[in-house]
Amino acid sequence: MKRIPGGWATLAVAVILLLPLVLPEALLTIFIFIGLATIVVSGLSLLMGFAGQVSLGQAGFYAIGAYAAALLARDFGVSPLIGLAVAPVATALIACIVGLPLLRLRGHYLAFGTLAFHLITLSILGEAKDITGGDTGLAGIPPFGIGPVVVAGPFKSIIFGYLAWILALLTLLFNRNLVRSRPGRALRALAASEAGALASGVSVGRYKLQVFVLSAAYAGLAGGVYAFYVSYIAPGSFPLVESIEFLIMATVGGLGSVWGAVVGATLVSLLVQLLQALGTFPGMPLRAPAIFSYAVYGLILVGVMLVLPSGIVPALRLVFGKRDRS
Amino acid sequence: MTLFLQYAASGVATGCAFALVATGFVAIYRVTRVVNFAQGVFAVLAGMLAFSLLGWGVPHILAEFVAVVVAGVSGAAVGWVALGRRDTTPLASLIITLGLGIGSYAALILIWGDQPISFDGLKGNLLVGGVGMQAQYVMVICMTGVAFAALGWFFNRTYIGRGLTACSSNPRAARLVGIDVHAMGLVAFGLGGALGGLAGVLLTPLQPVAFNSDVGIAINGFAAAIFGGLLRPGAALIGALVLGVAEALVAGYGQASLQSGAALLIMLGIMVWRASRASVLTAEEDNA
Repeated sequence: MKRIPGGWATLAVAVILLLPLVLPEALLTIFIFIGLATIVVSGLSLLMGFAGQVSLGQAGFYAIGAYAAALLARDFGVSPLIGLAVAPVATALIACIVGLPLLRLRGHYLAFGTLAFHLITLSILGEAKDITGGDTGLAGIPPFGIGPVVVAGPFKSIIFGYLAWILALLTLLFNRNLVRSRPGRALRALAASEAGALASGVSVGRYKLQVFVLSAAYAGLAGGVYAFYVSYIAPGSFPLVESIEFLIMATVGGLGSVWGAVVGATLVSLLVQLLQALGTFPGMPLRAPAIFSYAVYGLILVGVMLVLPSGIVPALRLVFGKRDRS
Repeated sequence: MTLFLQYAASGVATGCAFALVATGFVAIYRVTRVVNFAQGVFAVLAGMLAFSLLGWGVPHILAEFVAVVVAGVSGAAVGWVALGRRDTTPLASLIITLGLGIGSYAALILIWGDQPISFDGLKGNLLVGGVGMQAQYVMVICMTGVAFAALGWFFNRTYIGRGLTACSSNPRAARLVGIDVHAMGLVAFGLGGALGGLAGVLLTPLQPVAFNSDVGIAINGFAAAIFGGLLRPGAALIGALVLGVAEALVAGYGQASLQSGAALLIMLGIMVWRASRASVLTAEEDNA
């Protein structure tokens, strides 16, 4: 019995690694974006489920990572690989600086605080025209590559598919080990009762900040990959609704469920894509795609919160009688 | 100096509108301990509805009144969903109101499209103490005064108002003396919706609203509401006025694009300052 979950994971990994080879170009793009969303959501799920903190600013960190990688590669002539490696570090650094005052807030205050952080980030990116190109954005980001080998041409999407999903799997693996370790237990105590954790000797402030910084670093990493893949970014690429979309994915998958991140990111992305496709059908009203996606976001958030407050993956675990191992 | 007074006057007027939204947050939070993320939507809904009603030839005051009533009813509806289940935690309620806010975009776009709309308010200028003010600004300030006076009367002199106060100070005791706490929660949400709606019909002539204007309105209202820790309407009013004037001055003397950033920074500063003075235990009670 013990090997079955591992067996499922192996199967999932095999499918994921085969998909880039068989998917057509259009679907491959969606596949890549799901992988990037998984990275961001896995961090957010840790933050919300284990540290009990809501963040409505994950897309702000995503933006910072994207800009950091793009600017390093374009204006400083750094190798894209180093740019990509620096992106999560730079994002983590900023998260550390913002997190120190911000994490004194809890619950809805933190939600509004991180929302404000996202909006301030966007307005700074829009205002600093000399560095970021302002609202018109940052074009001409050099292609990803190592030394003379450059990722371009027909295989670009396949390589990015592998890059995004290998990074996603690595973050999931890291999270799985993290939640089973001593810091993971401390985090769960923190989520249950901050005062209780504090009384049991958990340094609450430090752990909260560490998870916050880790979730930001994940978002920064995903942002870096995004910047190299699309090669054009602007403040408009990271709207407020994207932060909410990450929150929806984390909620759907199950807060604090490690594998929930993949499930949530995949289900929500596919549903939204399906409705977008439906909305652009001939005969549909002009604004149907926007209407559909907003309606779906709303319905999912409300529905999941009322019916499955713990999310899909934990609920399935309950149905199939498996012990919650995470 | 005249310029300064003009900026300050317009700041007071927008501050008054923020105060109405903020009081909506406070009314809902006091009774239900839920922070309603959809608070800005009521303002947008009422503004757009008033626009349509005026377009159909409904006379001015009636159109605005109907819009405010509809906003109040939709507020109660949001409350009904957000408070729907007994075991819904405040965190879940927060996400539910966020979901309702985002979902309402679909309806708003479906009915009114995705472009900003506006309608004419009071025309002309008034001279107040040598400062020329748009009549609509004076109107916003007067209506806010009336609304606050009415709220004071409602909370202190009526049965429902006192019931709401009872629920906010001790829900258990309120239930023991026979007050229906759940129904009071719905009343609070309805009141919050109507206050947001009032802000919406007053603001729309001054600055056009689009379906996603609710974020800015809600953030300003929330920033004002936390001056009083989300519990004191009077402090929220002062907070809103400070915020409105500060934003108007930043926009007037500095850059208009920095206006919302200034509001956000003020909000963050106050929140962090307040949080640093609260102990872990009181904060957990706040969230529980």
